[in-house]
Amino acid sequence: MVPLLKVSNLVKRFGGIVAVNDVSFEIYKGETLGFIGPNGAGKSTVVNCLTGYLPATAGKVEMNGVDISHMKPHERTHMGLARTYQIPRPFPELTALTSVLASSISGKKRINQSFQDAMYDATHYLEFVGLFSKRNILARDLTFYELRMLELARALATTPQLIFIDEVMAGLNPGEAKSAVHMIRRAKEEFGITVFWIEHVMAVLMEAADRIVAINYGAKLAEGTPEEVVNNDEVVEAYLGRGWREYA
Amino acid sequence: MVEMELKRDRIVIRLGTKKWEWVLEPRYWRNTLIWVVVLFLFPTVSYFVSPGLINTMISANIYAAIAMPLALLTIGTGRMNFGPQFYIGVGGYTAALLSIAYGWGPLLTLPFAILMCIVAALIFSPLVLMARGLYYVLLTLLLPLVFLEVTFIYPDIFKGDTGLFGIVPLLDTGNAKNNFLFIGYLSTVIMFAYLWIINKVLKSRYGLLMAAINDDEDVAHSIGINISKIKIIAFVSACTMIGIIGWFYAHYFSSFAGITYLPLTFMLKILLVLMIGGRAQVFGCVLGGYFIAFLEMLMIRFMGPIQPVLFPIILLVLLFVLPEGLFGLYRKRRYREYLPTIHVRR
Repeated sequence: MVPLLKVSNLVKRFGGIVAVNDVSFEIYKGETLGFIGPNGAGKSTVVNCLTGYLPATAGKVEMNGVDISHMKPHERTHMGLARTYQIPRPFPELTALTSVLASSISGKKRINQSFQDAMYDATHYLEFVGLFSKRNILARDLTFYELRMLELARALATTPQLIFIDEVMAGLNPGEAKSAVHMIRRAKEEFGITVFWIEHVMAVLMEAADRIVAINYGAKLAEGTPEEVVNNDEVVEAYLGRGWREYA
Repeated sequence: MVEMELKRDRIVIRLGTKKWEWVLEPRYWRNTLIWVVVLFLFPTVSYFVSPGLINTMISANIYAAIAMPLALLTIGTGRMNFGPQFYIGVGGYTAALLSIAYGWGPLLTLPFAILMCIVAALIFSPLVLMARGLYYVLLTLLLPLVFLEVTFIYPDIFKGDTGLFGIVPLLDTGNAKNNFLFIGYLSTVIMFAYLWIINKVLKSRYGLLMAAINDDEDVAHSIGINISKIKIIAFVSACTMIGIIGWFYAHYFSSFAGITYLPLTFMLKILLVLMIGGRAQVFGCVLGGYFIAFLEMLMIRFMGPIQPVLFPIILLVLLFVLPEGLFGLYRKRRYREYLPTIHVRR
């Protein structure tokens, strides 16, 4: 089975600091891959390297067997990668509908897609995340939860195969977080996308993820089912510190 | 009795049992018709009343016609360009030199002026990819000043101080007053053509992509917009449109001197047209162009020697009072439109 995304020996250095050190993993179609690690472990840097926002120092990224290591971000988006940001980055001067419209126009190439077609698409995605009633509100006037949902709609509107979700729970209250998780699950089911999910809240990934990859100091610690990773001593040590057993 | 009532988007006039409504929407076809008719009647009326007004109108149209591509340039590249007059210099000098050397008329020099502007814009287009923020501002600010120096270093080509003379005029009917009238109409046509083209572009899918780039370049790149392509296309086309105005200036005055257009004073006027019109709104540029050209004319006529001091002060005060510009007064009630404006970045 050809993996949807194959990352081999990814390295990213910022001067002398090694942010990502020889990380390799694979993502298969239709699964939800959780990506965990303590603060500063290099999770977001990995996503930035995979989406082309930062050029990787070394390593290879393949999508459906095609090498995308040297592609620009927009080319990777056309291949079917999409992302959301840890801190929402909306287009502040555009309305909710036009933000999604921009991504519907510029996402994966669709033959003979007119402006109107893109508008219908955008409306659909906006309705899907529950923001249709806010379609004419400027993005800068939306609440934090709505911005998260707008980001999701914007990512979905590029018709991705694989979506990178960067800490969707951060800054949301429990009720909002629950509906955000529900929304991502629904998106996965309805649009048949694969999800790469970075998260701090373990309980969410325990439930949602099929597999989990854990990293620390830029290097891969463990990979496996959620139960395997949670019971891995190295992972627990990375989160709780050495000698955690004495206090357990 | 006649009763008038101002509602949010219309004026309602009642006379007994009869009722009329007038929609306050600049692009509502009746209102558009009114201001188009006014602009086209203006030269004819001033032809009989005060022909000098036609001159002011030509200035206004040309200011607007420089500010509109500048608006496109600013929005399409997501950067504030401080040297649009460089391309006026390129277009103007190309037309002037060719016309003097070969005796060519305006129609023959136009394609060459356009070609030179495209070449110059393509040469400097990597700036929009490499530089951003202050560096871009400084680089674009320096370009026209360097060009101005070049005109002084090579006086036998550019005639630095005095400028080039003897360019074939735009129109020659044998009567100076008639020439003014026709050129007045020509400038209005150019202004409307620019308004129509740029408004169409900004309303199209490309305008939306430009607005996205203008708001956040990195995010625009990550949702699949080829930002390099869009920025270079916007840069080259807008610079070429500005260059055509240089061609117009050269043939209109039959002379062209870099020192008139390349220094900062001229650039400042254009930037103020852009800002007072309404932060890079295309319709605002027309308002701003007319406002500034007529304000300048009135001040020269009535203020005398204090004009050079008072003119910038009035404009600066206006910038504080109307941060969204003249068009912003209307736009404040229409926030649903996504018409992009300049986004000031650090």
